[in-house]
Amino acid sequence: MDKDQLSAYLTDKSEGKLTLLEVGRHDPIFKVEASQLIEVCTWLRDDEQLKFDFLCNLSGVDTGEQFEVVYQLASTSKSLRVDIKVILPYDGAEIESVQKVWAAANWHEREMWELYGINVKNHGKLEFLLLPEDWDEGFPMRKDWDAPDFIRMPEF
Amino acid sequence: MGLIKKLPVYTEKMPGGGIVMTSLEAALHNAQAKSLWYLLFGTACCAIELMCTGASRYDFDRLGMIFRATPRQADLIIAAGTITKKMAPRLRLLYDQMAEPRYVIAMGGCTIKGGPFYYDSYSVEKGIDHIIPVDVYIPGCPPRPESLLEGCITLQEKIKKQSLLDWQEKD
Amino acid sequence: MSDLRTEEYYLNMGPHHPSTHGVCRMVLKMDGEKVKEIEPHIGYLHRSIEKICENRTYAQCIPILDRFEYVTAMSCNYVFALAAERLASIEVPERAEHIRVIMLELNRIASHLLFYGVTAMDIGALTPFLYGLRERESILDLFEMTCGQRLTYNYIRVGGVSRDLPNGFIPKCHEALNTIEKKLADYEGLLNENPIWLVRTVGIGVLPAKVALDYGVSGPCLRASGVQYDLRRNDPYSIYDRFEFDIPVRHNGDCYDRYLLRLDEIRQSIHIVRQALDALPEGDFKAKVSPNFKPPAGEVYARIENSRGELGVHVISDGTKKPLRVKTRGASYNHIAVLPAFATDVLLADLVAIFATMDVIMPEVDR
Repeated sequence: MDKDQLSAYLTDKSEGKLTLLEVGRHDPIFKVEASQLIEVCTWLRDDEQLKFDFLCNLSGVDTGEQFEVVYQLASTSKSLRVDIKVILPYDGAEIESVQKVWAAANWHEREMWELYGINVKNHGKLEFLLLPEDWDEGFPMRKDWDAPDFIRMPEF
Repeated sequence: MGLIKKLPVYTEKMPGGGIVMTSLEAALHNAQAKSLWYLLFGTACCAIELMCTGASRYDFDRLGMIFRATPRQADLIIAAGTITKKMAPRLRLLYDQMAEPRYVIAMGGCTIKGGPFYYDSYSVEKGIDHIIPVDVYIPGCPPRPESLLEGCITLQEKIKKQSLLDWQEKD
Repeated sequence: MSDLRTEEYYLNMGPHHPSTHGVCRMVLKMDGEKVKEIEPHIGYLHRSIEKICENRTYAQCIPILDRFEYVTAMSCNYVFALAAERLASIEVPERAEHIRVIMLELNRIASHLLFYGVTAMDIGALTPFLYGLRERESILDLFEMTCGQRLTYNYIRVGGVSRDLPNGFIPKCHEALNTIEKKLADYEGLLNENPIWLVRTVGIGVLPAKVALDYGVSGPCLRASGVQYDLRRNDPYSIYDRFEFDIPVRHNGDCYDRYLLRLDEIRQSIHIVRQALDALPEGDFKAKVSPNFKPPAGEVYARIENSRGELGVHVISDGTKKPLRVKTRGASYNHIAVLPAFATDVLLADLVAIFATMDVIMPEVDR
């Protein structure tokens, strides 16, 4: 299955739950609603043609207006790659944990929670992972974050 | 005397006998400078260069430097690599566990002033000299093994020049 | 005897521990000398590389990403350059692609040699450390004559490489490869049939393929568990599809297999470098790219196979000269995360062996 066939297959079989986005430059990127995330992820993992059994990466993104959560998936048996993107509002961003689908998501979600402040439902262990235990300066990866000892590189 | 005659390196023929006179300070500090045992404290890139310096080609041992895994047996802490805010209290703790006299070498740009992580970083401690006192700074990112050797020789020179009064407990 | 009982206790290992290859802390729940539960604590080297990259131009990101995975810094350079090239649709000259493959594979060999030395030292043998690092120096010499640095190269740039191969590189490279190939027999002679080594590694820390995939384990650790998955074949990048090489696979998934697999990979990498050196064409070594180039808005996840596994970088461009988001993914991150799932009910000393053969390196985890 090449990239175009994969896009067509996903658009076709997902019953409207996956929408192709134009931003993907190498692999197709699909948008999914936060409420349908688990259902879609389980289908992507279990479908006989797809078998996305490998979660490469999970990134939280702050675009300045909204949060995005991007799941990079790969299929080891079929050599496929696809990205799934969930768009969340800036206030009260919350997403369901995909740990039950791919256990690899655990630490990525904890990291996203501490660095961006995106709440992860049903995670089970939301504790600081990378930041010090006594960190109280907010969510450092947000675009508007600032602190007294944070030195920005001068423009030149 | 028979033994001493077999060891011409260590004694010199002196008029009227074979006795070498020296001060306690010089003898002690020479011995101390030639047997600096360093703590294996590597956090980042510099740790790889520290390992290379300890391995075949550069051979740290010839300076009398042997790695120790525990701070209780170490005289020297080579802070090799970035110290983050989360790691800083642990570095202080390790330093406190070492016995006097103890020395610190700050290896690499990160330990001097944050290095490449000075700007735009929220988690890097900008210089270890606000955590522990530093004797020798070695710039570089990472410093070559030759610079590390040079830094250690500089520290040895410093030790040889100190006086016994420096051994007193400092606050 | 019936009133003898054991009590569980907690043991803190790290963050400063010689066998954790950096600064990883593990809180272990122990029963006697058996490890019952592992809870890794990471973040002691969290240097906020991702935040820094958001405030740098694309060209400035590359030296920062050198520090992301310093043992194979070439692959970090490469993966970011690859992402930027895909974003901006930059064509890379043939000669540059060949030089890149040479550098990536040499770096893989250097990394595996370091693995060989350090792992053996963790398990208690000091001589392999001296052997492995001796041959690694010959590769570092090659890098040094090419780009002037031993560890953090900043050599592979967006659009090509920063400078051409120096005079005399090719014969010296052949010489280094021949030496390493010859010395590999020595390495294997030291450990492969060494009874102490066998007792410490065979059957220890078996990682089942299903657990490995579930937790995102990649690279040699995954292949040692019997899954043939190598991005050089399964998601080809650069010009790897032109070279002939095998993907070594082993099936037991224990420490011994993970160790053997890396030695096999050294042989394959030597084979690839030789082919690339023979096929090296004349021509430009860099495409013309402005240092402040602005890729069109879009996003890409580039991933390559480095010596530890899948090294990925997710770059989002908003059309300005700085990336909107750079998320790095190192293989070691998953290799530590999987420890609680399979490395339980082992002796504490075996945990050190497992940790060492997973070839974890901390900056990749903490970033």
